[in-house]
Amino acid sequence: MVTETDVLVIGAGPAGSTAAKHAALGGAEVLLIDKKSEIGAPKRCAEGVSIGGLESLGIKPSPRWVTKKLDGVRLVSPNGTDVWLTSDKVELPEAGYILERKVFDKHMAMDAARAGSRIMVKTLATGMEKTDDGYLVRAESMGREFDIKARIVIAADGPESRVARWGGLRTATRPKDMESAAQFEMVGVEMEDNNCIEFYFGSVAPGGYAWIFPKGDDIANVGLGVLSTETDKSAYEHLLEFVESCPATKNAQPVELNIGGDPVGGMPKKLVADSLMVVGDAAGQVNPLTGGGIISGMTGGMLAGRVAAAAVADGDVSEKRLMEYERDCRERIGKEIDRYLKVKDYMLTLSDSELDSIAEAFQDVEFEKVSTTELVKKLIKVSPKALIKLGKLF
Amino acid sequence: MKVKEWCMFCGECAGVCPRNLIEVRETSIRFSEDMCKECNICIDACPVRALER
Repeated sequence: MVTETDVLVIGAGPAGSTAAKHAALGGAEVLLIDKKSEIGAPKRCAEGVSIGGLESLGIKPSPRWVTKKLDGVRLVSPNGTDVWLTSDKVELPEAGYILERKVFDKHMAMDAARAGSRIMVKTLATGMEKTDDGYLVRAESMGREFDIKARIVIAADGPESRVARWGGLRTATRPKDMESAAQFEMVGVEMEDNNCIEFYFGSVAPGGYAWIFPKGDDIANVGLGVLSTETDKSAYEHLLEFVESCPATKNAQPVELNIGGDPVGGMPKKLVADSLMVVGDAAGQVNPLTGGGIISGMTGGMLAGRVAAAAVADGDVSEKRLMEYERDCRERIGKEIDRYLKVKDYMLTLSDSELDSIAEAFQDVEFEKVSTTELVKKLIKVSPKALIKLGKLF
Repeated sequence: MKVKEWCMFCGECAGVCPRNLIEVRETSIRFSEDMCKECNICIDACPVRALER
């Protein structure tokens, strides 16, 4: 049996659903498939998102999937020195929400369906081969094997990124670029301010950081990411140690365990080939410093969906035609990703004592705004080492 | 490859496999072991140490 479509999107996370939505809005026939029985679950995410980012995608916040509006940031160095950046002291241009991803992801898929996409859940792509005018993708759903003939395949299969590799794109993530992450959603969390997100740096999470993102009065995502190249312990073992030692979580209980990989090495050299585009985590569309990838992945999805629809309408799905997406992407999110990649590499060189002295120096710094860029600018002011490594970039 | 029962099918192993040999389904994993060069990258990357050769 063969199903035909103009555009096949593999993976219904936020990036895939957004790609499907925009391809359908552009007039293409779209099929969106996801291997799981429930889109959005289990979450593999700390669920933070910027409000401006959602606006830039034309998405109106809904109380059904926003759990918390954030009022600031608390940064904690290895010896417990903290830096508070809250809206009573500083302007917050990157104000954020904490989402309920299980609900949010479904809503994004529903938007794709309302735009005209067909959706199949519990449907796994198992391989694909190039044809004269597209791809023939082998799929399995509930014991049934079938083929999907598509003019364009949009690979949105997350950190695994297998689909783009079937098509010859080099989207494997090197171990030094893959954060291995573990998180509990917890209740009974006693944060100093449950309107602020907290970040903990240093050997608590080698190669990454630990976070506490509030989702309610005493509910929070408590997690961390580590690089397997920087530690012999698993992310889960580091998480247990963090939860044990952190004052905010000593009386907290888990209601959920989440794990997963987060690609923080930036985008691969190529995002398109003939009849093939890659978006979201599968394309490394993640801020390498923060690991955040919801908005950047959805932006990639939007740009890919638009170009896919236009390419189908033109009757030209060649790599050359689809390059428009890659150019859009490098312009819109690639530059940021490249800059933060350099900051992440710099952060990896810092010892616990260097992080402590930066936190000390920050005590005397007046912040006008809170944003990741602003933080790096201040970092350059207080640290000569940061000035040398990052001075030209920020 | 032995997959421990606490595997949560997150797919991180598949993402770091340099040869794209790991198929992670909703509740199972398949390895194309005949092509595996035993680099152990997947074993080290697992957030819960669920893989063992």
